[in-house]
Amino acid sequence: MAGRALKRLMTEYKQLTLNPPEGIIAGPTNEENFFEWEALIMGPEGTCFECGVFPAKLIFPPDYPLSPPKMQFTCEMFHPNIYPDGRVCISILHAPGDDPMGYESSAERWSPVQSVEKILLSVVSMLAEPNDESSANVDAAKMWRDDRDQFNRIAERLVRKTLNLPYP
Amino acid sequence: MPAPMPVGALTMASFALTAAVIGNAYYQKKQFYPSVVYITKSNPSMAAIYLLAFTMVILLGKLLKKVFFGALRAAEFEHLIERSFYAVTETCLAFTVFRDDFSPKFVALFTVLLFLKTFHWLADYRVDFMERSPVITLLFHVRVTCLLLLLSLLDLVLVNHAYHSTITRGASVQLVFGFEYAILLTVALNIGVKYVCHTVDLQSENPWENKAMYLLYTELCMGFVKVVLYAVFMIIMIRIHTFPLFIIRPMYLTMRSFKRALNDVILSRRAIRNMNTLYPDATPEELRAVDNVCIICREEMLTGAKKLPCGHIFHASCLRSWFQRQQTCPTCRMDILRQPPPAQGGAAGAAAAARNAQQPPTPPAQPQTPQPQQQQRQAQQQMPNPFAGLFAGMPMPVGPPPVGLPPFPFPPMPMHQAQQQQAAAASASASTTEAGTSSSTTTTSTSTSSSASSTGQAGGAIPTAPFNMLPPLFPLLPFNIPPPPPPLNFAAMTEDEVRQLEGNERQHVEARIKVLRNIQTLLDAAVVQMNQYASVVASLDMNSQSIPRNATPQQAGATESASAPEPSSSQAAEPMVGAAADRANSRDPDSLKEATSVTSNDEAARSEVTSSTSVAASPSSLSSTTTTSASADTSTPDELHPDSPQEIRRRRLERFTQNT
Repeated sequence: MAGRALKRLMTEYKQLTLNPPEGIIAGPTNEENFFEWEALIMGPEGTCFECGVFPAKLIFPPDYPLSPPKMQFTCEMFHPNIYPDGRVCISILHAPGDDPMGYESSAERWSPVQSVEKILLSVVSMLAEPNDESSANVDAAKMWRDDRDQFNRIAERLVRKTLNLPYP
Repeated sequence: MPAPMPVGALTMASFALTAAVIGNAYYQKKQFYPSVVYITKSNPSMAAIYLLAFTMVILLGKLLKKVFFGALRAAEFEHLIERSFYAVTETCLAFTVFRDDFSPKFVALFTVLLFLKTFHWLADYRVDFMERSPVITLLFHVRVTCLLLLLSLLDLVLVNHAYHSTITRGASVQLVFGFEYAILLTVALNIGVKYVCHTVDLQSENPWENKAMYLLYTELCMGFVKVVLYAVFMIIMIRIHTFPLFIIRPMYLTMRSFKRALNDVILSRRAIRNMNTLYPDATPEELRAVDNVCIICREEMLTGAKKLPCGHIFHASCLRSWFQRQQTCPTCRMDILRQPPPAQGGAAGAAAAARNAQQPPTPPAQPQTPQPQQQQRQAQQQMPNPFAGLFAGMPMPVGPPPVGLPPFPFPPMPMHQAQQQQAAAASASASTTEAGTSSSTTTTSTSTSSSASSTGQAGGAIPTAPFNMLPPLFPLLPFNIPPPPPPLNFAAMTEDEVRQLEGNERQHVEARIKVLRNIQTLLDAAVVQMNQYASVVASLDMNSQSIPRNATPQQAGATESASAPEPSSSQAAEPMVGAAADRANSRDPDSLKEATSVTSNDEAARSEVTSSTSVAASPSSLSSTTTTSASADTSTPDELHPDSPQEIRRRRLERFTQNT
């Protein structure tokens, strides 16, 4: 009998393939290893990330539903809650024990009730509404707060980059 | 993966260099012995030889890796590099302590140590990987078993060697090796236990529930042994040499993990004991009431499901492994260890009692006094008592409305104010009627089944009916009073409250109960209004013998008491619900779901209303006949025709249905 984590990941994969949420595609990178997933996230409509398709990878721990996975965008991102190297910093991905930013209440932390789908949906909403209070990318947070036009320009450049379009 | 080219190039270069050095020496000295002496005397030649040795070690390592592991995965390689970096820096620190003993031999020994360490780590990763991989081949088992045996054997031999050399030749750098290998031996043992556990788990059909516990205990024991080893080593080192700087980091890490393991063991033992003794097994009915899927493993719960005091149900095995991490409910994060013992006992007792009645397990008396710190912790998310939050959040003073006041001239108020009044009415009635108590307890209960709530509703409906039915009910009521406005329930709530409503089944249920109660209020109002009509019609009948044409069917229906009010009152309820749904729609889809589910639950409420209507209509029609004289002057048949209440009402209904 394979591990519990594997079974749960397979279940989630099946659910995600049967009822894919809008704007999100996710699945294991290869069938050999269910603990590394790739996800494609569409930029939410009506935001500066609209139309972008952002690839990310998810790394699951061996005790998966008990510990949160790690998520990292594999494209260039400029966002207050995404580290410059692409790692996503949202409270749902943090186990209640550790608190890198010191802001989060335990109510919004990881628990086995969460799932890949919920993570990706919260990432989409994070793209739409950055939380500039606990910023992983201070430059982006500052620009988001003070110079929204410039932020939007950068976001548009990133969107064009993900689509392989030329950008000014 | 490292590119093969650098290693190949390095191998080629070192071989070429060595060949050149040897060739040069042999060319100069012509004989074997003098050439050897020449090479050992010349530093550049020795450097070339060392380079060759280094290359050989790398090649050997690659060979062993190929034999025991095959290709490394990217993550493994990353971890390996990271840990090797630390190991090398620590070794360099160790060299500073033993700089007197520094010689190529020690470099070689440290290299061997580093190699063994890396193989231990890799074995660790591989065994961890067993849990993730869907297929484990026989080759994997053979490899891991051989590797573990080999590593343990090597560790033992080297510990033994270090021990003897220390005994015979006194303390030297061998002491360090001895301890390092002893630590590695514990690591190897730990990996071995893990491997055995995973293998047993793989062989069995069902997940092995105690595996996590065994692993936790193994970790604890090994952590303890390691801490002791480090402490002894540190004491010896301080007495013989100096403070061993290089073991500070591993020692700190070991102590931290030991502390964590100890903490985990203690807390999880407590939580699991609580779970085994205090929390009831979920009954099949409860399982059916929720969707029967354990949210931790996303699989169906057939047997072995446990119910936490907060009402959430999980597999016992899933809960056990979760409690080894955290001692909270996975869904609502209620701290199960901080739950006061009496409440737990009460919950268990109540659950035992409730299993017959299929009632929710929360004791009726307990929720009124929630633990303050617990309530703060949960930040009003997990309110045991729905009214506690309402009363706390409401600035408006709460007083029971005067008993006997008909609810019909219903002031336009937001839904939860109405709800509050309702609650106050319920609590007021609780003192007088037995049925009232049952209604208030059902609202505080953590019921998840809608059937339970609707039966509670039916129970609560009976005591409120007498208040509504108190005659004479203002026969002079102006008929163009606007009907009760659709409740502003979701619009009146703050964003936070709406968010609280989401994602929590229990709160959904509470909201449903609230909505149902509001519907009940509205229906009661409609019933009262119908009684008014009936009385008016009856008075018309008595005063003026000429019967208006359009009043005839209404009157006939009203005098037959039960049948006529029923359809129109339920009709009145329908647009209300529709309007509520409309409002909910504008707020968020989740509450829309609630509202629509309310419409389905409406069936139950309606049937209950019909029963109350039949009770209500007959006494009020009797009483209205006694108070006809007052209403007679305002409502003559001629006035009634264009502005008749039925007409107004029908027009309003049309407007409502158009809106929805």
